[in-house]
Amino acid sequence: MKRARGVDTAVDLGGISLRNPVLTASGTFGYGTEFAPFLDLRRLGGFVAKSLTLEPRIGNPPPRIAEAPSGMLNAISLENVGVEVFIGEKLPAIPEGVTVIASVFETDVDGYAEVCKRLTGVPRVAGLEINASCPHVKSGGIEFGQDPAVLARLVRATRQATTLPLLVKLSPNVTHIGEMARVCEGEGASGISLINAVQALEVDPETRRPVLANGLGGLSGPAIRPIALRMVWQAAQAVSIPICGVGGIESAADAIKFLLCGATAVQVGTSNYLRPSIAGEVADGIAEWAERHGVARIRDLVGALEFPAR
Amino acid sequence: MAEAVWEVGGERVAPIRAEAEIVRNAGEGASNWRLVLRVPGWPGFAPGQFAMLAAGSVSAARRSDPLLPRPMAVYRAQAGRGWSDVEILYKRVGRGTALLAEALPGQRVAIVGPLGRAFPRPRAGERVTVVAGGTGIASVRELAARLAGSHPVELLFGARTAGELMAVEDFEALGIPLRIATEDGSAGERGVVTDLLESALDADAPAPGRRVYVCGPTAMMRRCAEIAAERGAPCVAALETTMACGFGVCLGCAAPLRRGGYALVCRDGPAFDAAVIDWERLP
Repeated sequence: MKRARGVDTAVDLGGISLRNPVLTASGTFGYGTEFAPFLDLRRLGGFVAKSLTLEPRIGNPPPRIAEAPSGMLNAISLENVGVEVFIGEKLPAIPEGVTVIASVFETDVDGYAEVCKRLTGVPRVAGLEINASCPHVKSGGIEFGQDPAVLARLVRATRQATTLPLLVKLSPNVTHIGEMARVCEGEGASGISLINAVQALEVDPETRRPVLANGLGGLSGPAIRPIALRMVWQAAQAVSIPICGVGGIESAADAIKFLLCGATAVQVGTSNYLRPSIAGEVADGIAEWAERHGVARIRDLVGALEFPAR
Repeated sequence: MAEAVWEVGGERVAPIRAEAEIVRNAGEGASNWRLVLRVPGWPGFAPGQFAMLAAGSVSAARRSDPLLPRPMAVYRAQAGRGWSDVEILYKRVGRGTALLAEALPGQRVAIVGPLGRAFPRPRAGERVTVVAGGTGIASVRELAARLAGSHPVELLFGARTAGELMAVEDFEALGIPLRIATEDGSAGERGVVTDLLESALDADAPAPGRRVYVCGPTAMMRRCAEIAAERGAPCVAALETTMACGFGVCLGCAAPLRRGGYALVCRDGPAFDAAVIDWERLP
């Protein structure tokens, strides 16, 4: 593997020190060990583990996934082993020297806060990412990240529950992403990750039914990348806390685009399924790109987009 | 349930990801195709394991549509020096397989494999009935081939028409007794392959001492599971479903279990004890 030795790739993502800006997105990277045959995890800045709830959860009935143009829909429903099994069994299996960010999900604010408390003080957990893109049961199933007041309560409660760096992963299913970003910043979030999957529907005309058993699903993959770039850029205009850009990254060039739009780091998501070594290739590729372009420090690229004056 | 793991490509070989070169890719009648890939570093495989083939990777320019790789049973593999020729039988059914069918020798396809849990071995002395429907035949050749020397093996093979049958000559070459059923009677017996299983088990009662392996359409596997269960014969089914990754992270390939919850076809299967699957809830 060719290494670009002259380039400083380190970034600080809201208090989480990363050796390079490439993470993998929650839900697309299991608990890390699944990728051992394909990728040395130490090549990455780190990874975000599958979202954790207080108790183990089983997922939705099949079909859970469907293909879409340059993308896929999923409705897994956050199947996971639960926070205790993660701490007791999954974390110890992750090689030393790998930065682990735990993703947190629950169906009410108190549940989120409790999962955050359990993960706080656990060695190896470098930070938390709050998955705010899930239906809030007590608010009638609306996503936490879709209502500024609900989002504010969630960020406040989780911020109080942990001393760890706290990222909030925002839903793209909103009109004003900048407003949601400001809510997170105002409530003390260390940073924000965006975007989560775009709410979507695929239909089988023969059966006149949705393809997914759940009906609706989340669209991910290269199809959503321009939407993600737009939202990262808008959020970066609105807040000064660091942003982790997510959405359809397939290459180092894609990751650079997110940095230019204002992301301090990025997460590779759906591409991990198709090409399980991709995140390492993106991490190496960013450094090579920077070297070729005479960029000494990766962090100098953050927000360097030359947007036409309006 | 298993007597032992397979000697070659045991219970879990670490999978690889490789850019494989297409050696051969040709139609074999109807929409059946046979693909031979030269895969560097192929570690071997056990019967029932599969690989993910990225149909969208077959061209100089990388493309993202279709996005998902296709899970395909490994039909056979022949080892060379540092590589193996891995053979895949597939049916041209959708956009992914249509693209794959257009791929030419010399072009490259990304492959991840071998993946999944293999068929369990039969116990010593057990007689083996292998039941295949359509492209399900691709999942069972290696099983039949490796058992042929140690167990009495018979193959029951069903398709809609004679033209849709594939790889019959490969099984004849293995010397395995073969019974064919086609729905239109154009080859073998007129009818469906589940009728053959019923008569095979009934002609040779009691069924205990016999093990059934099946791969094919869900409805056919479900019926085989019922027929075997009614006669007390253990039945192993190799499930087929859409997958995004093939190695246990997308969680897209859930198969409902009778005890509740789900197994992943890619990680916990594709070969399952048919009695644990909740066939009612399997799409």
